[in-house]
Amino acid sequence: MAEAAPIGLSWAPKLPSLPTTSGGKKDTGASSSRAQGSLWKPASELVDGLFVPPRDPRKANKLARKNVKDTSGKGWFDMPAPTITPELKKDLEILQLRHVMDPKRHFKRAGKSKALPKYFQVGTVIEPASEFFSSRLTKRERKTTLVDELLSDQHLKNYRMRKVREIQENRTPGGNQKWRNKGKKTLKRAKDRRK
Amino acid sequence: MRPPRGRGFGRGGRGDGGGRSGGGGRGFGRGGDSGGRGGRGRGGGRTPRGRGGGRGGGRGGMKGGSKVVVVPHKHNGVFIAKAKEDALCTKNMVPGESVYGEKRISVQNEDGTKVEYRVWNPFRSKLAAAVLGGVDNIWIAPGTRVLYLGAASGTTVSHVSDIVGPTGLVYAVEFSHRSGRDLVNMAKKRTNVIPIIEDARHPARYRMLVGMVDVIFSDVAQPDQARILALNASYFLKNGGHFVISIKANCIDSTMPAEAVFASEVEKLKADQFKPSEQVTLEPFERDHACVVGGYRMPKKQKGTS
Repeated sequence: MAEAAPIGLSWAPKLPSLPTTSGGKKDTGASSSRAQGSLWKPASELVDGLFVPPRDPRKANKLARKNVKDTSGKGWFDMPAPTITPELKKDLEILQLRHVMDPKRHFKRAGKSKALPKYFQVGTVIEPASEFFSSRLTKRERKTTLVDELLSDQHLKNYRMRKVREIQENRTPGGNQKWRNKGKKTLKRAKDRRK
Repeated sequence: MRPPRGRGFGRGGRGDGGGRSGGGGRGFGRGGDSGGRGGRGRGGGRTPRGRGGGRGGGRGGMKGGSKVVVVPHKHNGVFIAKAKEDALCTKNMVPGESVYGEKRISVQNEDGTKVEYRVWNPFRSKLAAAVLGGVDNIWIAPGTRVLYLGAASGTTVSHVSDIVGPTGLVYAVEFSHRSGRDLVNMAKKRTNVIPIIEDARHPARYRMLVGMVDVIFSDVAQPDQARILALNASYFLKNGGHFVISIKANCIDSTMPAEAVFASEVEKLKADQFKPSEQVTLEPFERDHACVVGGYRMPKKQKGTS
């Protein structure tokens, strides 16, 4: 049937769907969620089970524009906008925070906007043969994401651990190891809380 | 008459000996060649681009195998590779090939296609230094036709060819046969580069090869480089086209202060129907160099605007 065809095309004969009460209800729910997809159309909008493009040129153009893949344009050789996965998002976020990772390295500010870049690609550096011994990560040092790579760096790790320890010591009240400031709640004194 | 053989000689020396300006480590731009740590271990000693007194230390990102995020740069056709360090890069026209031993960045897209970028070292390319120096517009973009004077062995030319892409065209003029050989070898693999081993002082000799161009990039370190640029522009540059010229103060007058030399060169350009719009110094990357960008025979402004 038309429901089964993923892009709204179906050559199956027009038969009434099986009269199952539960199935009909499910269909309406599923169609509303699926209708947001690119080309799928509910059976009611199909003509003889076939998808007919709208005759109105404005609507047809809108449909065509929606189906073009989003890229950065001709100026940058149509760099695509990838789908953001949690890993990719972490990579982009750690790039924004890289100025706190290493005390010896300073960066120009990337601008005031904190938005993540839309068009980007994640790649792997290939070293030329002349730098085989001097500038290459061994197989063990290679990681699948930027975050993994930065977290596994021993120099950065030492600095990070030290900083965490310093912050924790700062926040321990009275120098007593067992007393901890656990967020906002413990910072308030009981007297203040009673107000 | 001495031929304008560009920096064929000087460029080679820099490549082999290790540049003089590589001392000051900057966050940006150093990433591409952190491998050439001069005199550190046998690897460092053997690398052709080992630069004396690199960063030292075992840090240094952009090692082979590390991950980077490539994002578009402000200028068309230019990209930035971001990781622990940033590096300028261009999209490789010939995937799998490195022109002068630079690092490459290989990317696999979601649909399975592979793309490659090449790292662009501002210490070896004055155009890259100008881009990092914050020039407003280089006018070299995908699809443009560029006349490149003083191409040397074609390191920067290869990046210009990357930027203009398959729809653009680069005419690379170089007089020295020695560096011209490398240029020709590079152009064999790049369909959009036309190498011309000829004296840039005599554009009439290669007028049959070169068509009308949008941009002239001039990097001939010669005392009469303004005249050379004007000659070539009168032959090949379209009205309303643009020029980018890199001026080395020492090559024009080593007795005057650099700023005075730049100012006198800009005056010479103005006399030849050029309209310089901006000038940037290439300071952290080159000493006493400036890059001037502007237009040629620009159309008159409309009356209504004034």
